[in-house]
Amino acid sequence: MSDSGELALALVQSELKELSFVAHRDLNAALPAIEPYGIEATALWAETGRDLFLYDRDAGKAFLRQSPELARATSVVTPWTRQAREFLTFRGSWKALTAYLERFAEAQAAFGAERALAWGAIGLDWGRRHLGSAEIYFATPVAELTDGRGWDGAREVLDPLQALAAERGLLPGLALPGAIKVRALLGPDALRPWLARGAEVLKSGRLRGEAFFRLEGPESEEALLAGLPGFRTQEHERFLALLARAVLGQAPPFASGGLRFGARAFIETDGRTLFWPPAFPSRDEAIAALLHHAGHLAFGSYDEPALEGLFREAGLEHPPLDSDQRITWRPLFALFGEDMVRFQLLFDLCEDLRVDARVQARFPRHVPRLLALAHVPPTGAARPYYEAARASLAGLLDGGQETGRFTPLLAPDADLVTSWRVARAWYEEGDMPPLALADRALAYLPGRSPNSQRPVYPRSRGARVNEEVEEGGGAAAVEKRETKPAPVGPGHDPDLEITPEDTSGSGGRVGVGRPQPAAVSGYRRSLLPPGEGLPYPEWDYREKAYRRDWARVQERALIERDASCAQSLLAQHAGVLRRLRRALQAEKPRRASPHRRQLEGEELDLDATVTYVVDRRTGERPQPAVYRKRRPSQRDTKVLLLADLSTSIMQEAATGDGRVVDRLKAALLLFALSLEEIGDEYAIAGFASRYRNAVSYYPIKTFSERLTADTRAVLGGLSGRLATRMGAAIRHACARFETSGGRRLLLLLSDGRPADYDDGGDERYLHEDTRMAVKEAADRGVHAFCVTLDPAGAPYLERIFGRGHYLIIDTLDELPAKLPQIYLKLRRA
Amino acid sequence: MRGLIERLRGVERDIVQDPGSDGAPYYEAQGAEVAVFEAAWQRRLPVMLKGPTGCGKTRFLEYMAHRLGRPLVSVSCHEDLTSADLVGRFLLEGESTVWQDGPLTRAVKAGAICYLDEIVEARTDSTVIIHPLTDHRRRLPLEKRGLEIEAHEDFLLVISYNPGYQTALKDLKPSTKQRFIAITFDYPPAAIEARILQNEVKGLAADIAERLVAIASQARALKDHGLDEASSTRSLVYAGELMSAGLAPLAAAEAALISPLTDDLELAAALREIVAAHLPA
Repeated sequence: MSDSGELALALVQSELKELSFVAHRDLNAALPAIEPYGIEATALWAETGRDLFLYDRDAGKAFLRQSPELARATSVVTPWTRQAREFLTFRGSWKALTAYLERFAEAQAAFGAERALAWGAIGLDWGRRHLGSAEIYFATPVAELTDGRGWDGAREVLDPLQALAAERGLLPGLALPGAIKVRALLGPDALRPWLARGAEVLKSGRLRGEAFFRLEGPESEEALLAGLPGFRTQEHERFLALLARAVLGQAPPFASGGLRFGARAFIETDGRTLFWPPAFPSRDEAIAALLHHAGHLAFGSYDEPALEGLFREAGLEHPPLDSDQRITWRPLFALFGEDMVRFQLLFDLCEDLRVDARVQARFPRHVPRLLALAHVPPTGAARPYYEAARASLAGLLDGGQETGRFTPLLAPDADLVTSWRVARAWYEEGDMPPLALADRALAYLPGRSPNSQRPVYPRSRGARVNEEVEEGGGAAAVEKRETKPAPVGPGHDPDLEITPEDTSGSGGRVGVGRPQPAAVSGYRRSLLPPGEGLPYPEWDYREKAYRRDWARVQERALIERDASCAQSLLAQHAGVLRRLRRALQAEKPRRASPHRRQLEGEELDLDATVTYVVDRRTGERPQPAVYRKRRPSQRDTKVLLLADLSTSIMQEAATGDGRVVDRLKAALLLFALSLEEIGDEYAIAGFASRYRNAVSYYPIKTFSERLTADTRAVLGGLSGRLATRMGAAIRHACARFETSGGRRLLLLLSDGRPADYDDGGDERYLHEDTRMAVKEAADRGVHAFCVTLDPAGAPYLERIFGRGHYLIIDTLDELPAKLPQIYLKLRRA
Repeated sequence: MRGLIERLRGVERDIVQDPGSDGAPYYEAQGAEVAVFEAAWQRRLPVMLKGPTGCGKTRFLEYMAHRLGRPLVSVSCHEDLTSADLVGRFLLEGESTVWQDGPLTRAVKAGAICYLDEIVEARTDSTVIIHPLTDHRRRLPLEKRGLEIEAHEDFLLVISYNPGYQTALKDLKPSTKQRFIAITFDYPPAAIEARILQNEVKGLAADIAERLVAIASQARALKDHGLDEASSTRSLVYAGELMSAGLAPLAAAEAALISPLTDDLELAAALREIVAAHLPA
């Protein structure tokens, strides 16, 4: 046996000698490290080196060179040699193999011998699917994979990746680095939904998908926020604002401070706005942080006189202002040179204590809550600061006897300058250790944060009152918008950079139409960027959950007018209109007259009373319905007609001349005129969409407006654009029924199924969402009914609107005459 | 006397009642309202009590009626209240019609103080019929009978009116408003409110009363930020009553100060947070 091993080894050596000087030299150099593991192992190893070399020179050289090191680290040879042979099954594997050899020792140390092989097998499996994935996989440090929890930790990340790779063809390596970060940020449970979302984005565009997995761009941020654990500030913004208002009498404007990896949840402020982290670890911490920071604003940490006094105290002239009229803190702390962090911490500690004491006076649970949160002191140099802050807070609760050096801060007239003086004196004592900037964050108690993180707008005292009065009104709202951080830059998808309201182009598979270039005359306008607009949720049937604020609806005005088209359409349909008018006369409600012969009412109905008395006299037992009531018995019907204005309406009509849109215009015109005739309240609106963040809602006529020549001209000038995100439009339309009560009807006029460019080819997704939107409408008392031109619409419409809640118009020419009739039928029902 | 009152409980009584001679209702004056009312009463000028719900308008009027020794007829107005409900109507009795005086007519005849609570809620036709009663004429026309009643010399009309209540759509016509002497009420200052609480709820600790008042003052900052009606003195009294009946403070506050005020989850959460900050668990 050993003879054959030696023979094989000699054979390999002689072969390599002929083949390559370098390979032969490397083999001989590595041999001494390998030989102690037995001749058979050595022979196998040498053969593997040779085979790899023959298959792919770089792979072979990498194997031979890295072997001695690996053998030393793992104390074995055969297991990884065998596994390395499997790299022979795919081409160009040297990078992956190199990475594998580098990491194998780590894997064995982390997982043990057997599982290290399983670790390698996973990488090989990925490599068979996509070589790049294996390279990324083996290049990933094992410690990152395990997160300190060995094989289970690694499985947490790898299992969902593998499952999705199998289910949706996701390239696992692409998502691995992002997945590890996401696990660290959101926890293992959030990983799967995040990956699923990523697979979807990837399907709609490779560049977008890759950006998503690199955790770049708004889509990624939204997906991360959706899975963020803890107390999410955005969801509770109103609660927090209410609480601040109740306790401090004012609610500062909030803005998102953005998502940060691995950082503590700090609130920052620029003296006007509080910048929230997306989430706090707990509700208690969020409340404590809110009251603390709103307290800073309320109790003068950023007041102009206080800031000026502070700079005077520090021996500086008027505080320097930046281009935005903001005060920068730098010169103040620059006075302390290297020791800046130490002083800044002491200063913050004093000022925080001053503010917390004043908040405590209004909100007795504030300091106890802060103390309860501060139960895990940090280690290292930050600890003394943490403990000192804790002790100073605890001193507040003792009835103010143990406050020591902080006593001046608790005086009613204490301000920022007092904090500076106290901190200065404390600093001079020099009993606190110096601290590195990196450790600074640890020194703050939960709920507190560095006060001088951003340059601040000094608050003048007069202005604060005004702000309060105008809050929610013009000035404050504008201000809030200004202080919002710049939107995250566009991703890498060129699609996203097209202006959202470019109405030209092909509708593709959207609607019933054949894909064809659309001839649209109209204007291009630059409008609101995507992301603005009213947010509405969307139902994801796969997750069985709502996606919060998923679709954004922007109300826009239609600017195309075509009065002559409206005229000619009306002339064309004059006969229909005449017939309709006659039918409508019968529907018109008569003058509001009192209800007679009622069992109860305000007054006696004399006629009824006489009859009643007569009947009584003649010995009958009539019903005493002798009152008159003035109240109308039936409430009015309100109807909102919502027209689908997607590209497909621009196609030629299958029957007769002209295009679908002409019949649509005529139908809307006749509908409007009929409704005017009946006198019911009605509104007309159109909708179109281009991705979820740009759903356009075009109010053509609102309930309160009258039908004017201009409204007719707008109807005459209708044209098709973009796609059909029906659910968002329905939700928005429901919100447009301002009042509740009465009968409310939402009449949808469509020519195709709900679809949008970004539904990832999954028709069912928007169907299910529309179905939910219709259900929501019903819950709000709005009855939805769909009139469609799609002859094949029955299956999906029945699912969405329910049996009997839709009508298919087979012949397009009937639409103008039918639409008002449909309304009348519905109204009578 | 007490025995008599006990006997009257649960018994139908006429709405026009002379105030009893036993103790006056408790009322803590906040300003000059008693003097203003007495002056208006001397000249028989109609009075409008303005102020938020539960700040003591009705209690003030009960107190004044007792002080002046006049019977008090109260009508709570609602949106279906018509002039017939106030003035009277024909009823059918057997084979003939009978006229029945409404509460306003009764008060005009008897010389009582007639109190129309939340007058804004009533239909406009019923607010207009009080016009001739509020100026020098002091007459109530009974249109349907073709009659007119000269008001009793002691008759006084008082309405209450809650500005900004519910919607801006409902407001008194200026022509109605300017016929009245207005007394504006608001929630009392903290010290007085705490005293009121202790007087209303027997055995309520001063400490708890002060905490309840502190809660209310913070909750009142949320009015118009989702809260239509702020925590009233009355709801504080209720909370105090629940506590003195042995309910845990937090549960009492939840039942009296939070749940009745709002159905809005976030608002309720904010109120709960305020309550928890001030009250012992």
